[in-house]
Amino acid sequence: MTAAFAARVDAALADPVLKIAVERTAGTAEAKRTLAVDAFPDFEAARTRAAAIKDHVVANLGAYLERFEANATAAGATVHWASTAQEACDIVLALCRQAKAKSVARSKSMLGEEIGLPHALAEAGIERIETDLAEHIIQLAGERPSHIIWPAMHKTREQVSALFKASHHAPHEEETIAAMAESARRHLRDAMLGADVGISGANFLVADTGAVCTVTNEGNAELSLVPPRMHIVTAGIEKIVPSMPHAVHLLRMLSRSATGAPLSQYTTFYTGPRRPGDRDGPAEMHIVLVDNGRTRMRREGLAEMLRCIRCGACMNHCVVFRQIGGHAYGGTYPGPMGAVLTPAIDGLAASRDLPNACTLNGKCQEVCPVRIPLPTLLRGWREKSWREGLEPASVRSGLALWAWFARRPRLYRAATATALKSARLMGGGWLSRLPLAGGWTRHRDMPAPAPKSFMDQYRQGRRR
Amino acid sequence: MSARDAILAALGPASGDDLDRAAAALLIDPERPPVDPTQLEETFAARLLLPSVAASYAAVAGFADVPAAIAAYCAEHGLPRHLCAPPDPRLDAADWSGIDRHLDPAPDEPLALAVAECGVAETGSLVMRTAPTAPMLPNFLALHHVVVVPRLVAYLEDALPTEPMPRGYYWITGVSGTTDIEGTYVRGAHGPRYLHVIRLISEN
Ligand code: SF4
Repeated sequence: MTAAFAARVDAALADPVLKIAVERTAGTAEAKRTLAVDAFPDFEAARTRAAAIKDHVVANLGAYLERFEANATAAGATVHWASTAQEACDIVLALCRQAKAKSVARSKSMLGEEIGLPHALAEAGIERIETDLAEHIIQLAGERPSHIIWPAMHKTREQVSALFKASHHAPHEEETIAAMAESARRHLRDAMLGADVGISGANFLVADTGAVCTVTNEGNAELSLVPPRMHIVTAGIEKIVPSMPHAVHLLRMLSRSATGAPLSQYTTFYTGPRRPGDRDGPAEMHIVLVDNGRTRMRREGLAEMLRCIRCGACMNHCVVFRQIGGHAYGGTYPGPMGAVLTPAIDGLAASRDLPNACTLNGKCQEVCPVRIPLPTLLRGWREKSWREGLEPASVRSGLALWAWFARRPRLYRAATATALKSARLMGGGWLSRLPLAGGWTRHRDMPAPAPKSFMDQYRQGRRR
Repeated sequence: MSARDAILAALGPASGDDLDRAAAALLIDPERPPVDPTQLEETFAARLLLPSVAASYAAVAGFADVPAAIAAYCAEHGLPRHLCAPPDPRLDAADWSGIDRHLDPAPDEPLALAVAECGVAETGSLVMRTAPTAPMLPNFLALHHVVVVPRLVAYLEDALPTEPMPRGYYWITGVSGTTDIEGTYVRGAHGPRYLHVIRLISEN
């Protein structure tokens, strides 16, 4: 593992507040998802269908994008295409300038984070109003999101309270979460209603209607997209669905997997700009379709990752994420999906640690609503990293990887606890499945695993 | 080469299947929570009570009874009889004496009224669409959101538009809520803190 990654992990593990904050939210999400999935008639079949819908789209992506473009254009929207993050930001900035925008209201979009839009807007001197409560919190803190559904998951109420008191004009007096949310409501409302441009992402792009779908619990997307005169959408090209009923199926999966609700509070389909006679709505709608590595992922063995609907279930159920939180991953996307995506977006050389920071216990794959084989894709990155000689020989042996975990007792115990429970550690689990695990397999003739015997074994190994 | 051409070239030609046939095949018998078609009223009313929806509910006969239902809601919540209402002819036909209605929402609008296209028993969702008679902003701005529901359908699919999409087509399934601080649920993050459904029984 690189020193930078190890340092981030160690800082995270040493932060007692972080662990509490992550556990509070991820634990609740895990419990709610379980209830929702158990109440659903046949969630396993529904996952298979969801995966098939996305596979069909990814296999025919060019045709669907053209169809989406034609229908969105017919509805009066303007469609733009961007191969890279830079191109996408340039298009957005040019549109903002064209609208003479002094301030833009953004509703949470991971694609926006991925392409560095917050930074680009700042450089261009355009005021950015983050309207999602969590994004507002991390904007005040000058941080990046640590989770794709709850970007401020790493913050405790005490930290949020301090941030709001330092920057809201009429901050809360009572130290309750409700009072803090109310303070943000007061603070954000005027700014939001006065913005010149509204920028959103998209949960889905509906090919046969040209509609753009957003999903929120707060209603901040609608509140920030309806008043300004221009609505700009930035969306990854994989967000396409063939038609509205396909979107319905994926929406059922998304909300249950993310928050456990049958449907999120606000699901909105935007089709073109304001129409004659409408009392509100933007005069212009622009949609920026962004590649940023997706066509390459499709070509180079990561097509399955393009199924991802960004529900966050894989990270909520990941033993490593629950210990270290999202920032330690160092990219836009944390957790198991981030460990697959980040090397594809930022390059493997810069992020080769991520596929290693995984126990391959398979939990992420079990909960993924679109059946992405995350452990297999992670193993693919490991092998590539070894093949390309990015890893030192000690890591290739597998033992070094195990030792890396073992030197972090909290992480190690969390990792092995699940592995042992499912009796996978010696069978098909993480260590034995490591390619080129010669260094480890030499030690495999030991008795059935118990966490203690591993630690003993490791200490013995160190004394030798 | 333009970005468009580069992306489409990188994606190559479609798989050669009949796209529409293949897409339709993916929709046969979708998995979804069972809804008894003879129990739409009961199911819909029950969904409104889910913690994630948490709407209050009143049933009246038709549009003519909406003003009285609004007056009752205002009395219950100690609100002045003063609301933002859409220019919907079905509402205009009712007798609004004693209630002040206006079209444009104030930034701190206390109460907004809307007419849904229908309600969905599967989820308790209220199906909305924009039109000259149906602005969108008041529904996301007001503290109290009161929605008239003239019709019910069983599933989300049954509520989808058959004609071309309106500019804004949206499902409201609860109030503006957030769990962004320590996962604790707070109502009224940006928009409505209260959602009240007036179901028009005899319109269905
Ligand atoms: S990889 Fe699967 S579980 Fe993880 S965010 Fe994407 S869809 Fe959800």
